[in-house]
Amino acid sequence: MNSTHYDACPECDLLLRYARPKIGEKAHCPRCGFLLSRPHNQSIKRTFALSIAGLIMFFPANLLPMVGLKVLGNVNSGILMSGVIALFNEGMVAVAVVVFLASILFPLVHIGLSLLISGHLYFNRPNRYLISWMRWRHHLDEWVMLEVYLLSIIVACVKLMSLAPLSFGLGLYAFVALIIITTMLTAGVDNALFWQRIDQLNKGNNH
Amino acid sequence: MQGFIRCDDCACLVKIVDQLSTCPRCDSHLHARHPHSLQRTTAFLFGSIFLYIPANIFPIMIFSQFGSGEPNTIAGGIIELIDGGMLPIGLVVLVASILVPSCKLIGISLLLLRVHFRWQSNARRWTVLYRIIAFVGRWSMLDIFMLSILANLVDFGSIQIIAGPAATAFAAVVILTMFAAKNFDPRLLWDNQQNL
Ligand SMILES: [Zn+2]
Repeated sequence: MNSTHYDACPECDLLLRYARPKIGEKAHCPRCGFLLSRPHNQSIKRTFALSIAGLIMFFPANLLPMVGLKVLGNVNSGILMSGVIALFNEGMVAVAVVVFLASILFPLVHIGLSLLISGHLYFNRPNRYLISWMRWRHHLDEWVMLEVYLLSIIVACVKLMSLAPLSFGLGLYAFVALIIITTMLTAGVDNALFWQRIDQLNKGNNH
Repeated sequence: MQGFIRCDDCACLVKIVDQLSTCPRCDSHLHARHPHSLQRTTAFLFGSIFLYIPANIFPIMIFSQFGSGEPNTIAGGIIELIDGGMLPIGLVVLVASILVPSCKLIGISLLLLRVHFRWQSNARRWTVLYRIIAFVGRWSMLDIFMLSILANLVDFGSIQIIAGPAATAFAAVVILTMFAAKNFDPRLLWDNQQNL
């Protein structure tokens, strides 16, 4: 197939000659300005390392208390899951499910898939599921909403400040670290390179 | 574009030969444009406009204190923040829960109208509008996450924050507008373009 010499802009469908920019440079579509590619140095190794770090950080961020509220000697402290349970107990099942997916399950699956993909590529192991993993991760991207959740924590704290004294737990710091890791993780993935390597691996396996 | 289809999932460019319907690399279905893009976007848009009304009329959270409940709509919560001297945070919530959803509904409607009536105007500017809409959508979940945090923390028997009926409607609005933006194909803005 000689179509590999060409590329099309995903947002305006302009036919472009395929060009891979140098590390640190960006390629934009000349017609609509879409960011076509932005290769990173050692994207596979970097993704592999960051997804391990993210997976480790996921547990303290989810298990340690994040914010506590002290009223009349009682301290109520919250983790991600307890917010979901609170909504569930109030009968807000649909909202509870949405919060659970966007703040707990999807981030975990996203990191897990990144680890599986980059791990296989890093150790040169072909796997027929690599393609499905790439597709799932691609579709999951925008439903991981950890940074939105962080903004909600800030707003909630400002609202509660006047009500009662607040305490910040280790879970909150772990959560901020998790957000930094996942942001770097998504920004550092070089999809063109990943697909190219998957192609090579799976073709090598067939012969 | 002549003779090629770009796979939506893996970005691979495929030469069209005898009705090839799946991508040779990732096996997903090939479409020159998102299938039924305008119909699907319109359907999601109408759904979210319809739900936008209860989301704003009914209380999103109820602050109950010793048995008496004080219901708060989305707008009410923002006014409370600003009245309490917390203007910057009030503005953040105003942007995320009122400006973003309503601008999104208007923006998606405009995109649909432009494609449908083939308005001849700068396609690049419209693509920028599409990108902004696609980017900001998720930030409206702010209110929903905040509700889950508050419902969890403020629960001391006699003093409680309870989620109101608008919460489900608002969450649905956010998700439906995200689906609407996802189904809209920006390449339609460039089709039927006479002058660039
Ligand atoms: Zn373009």
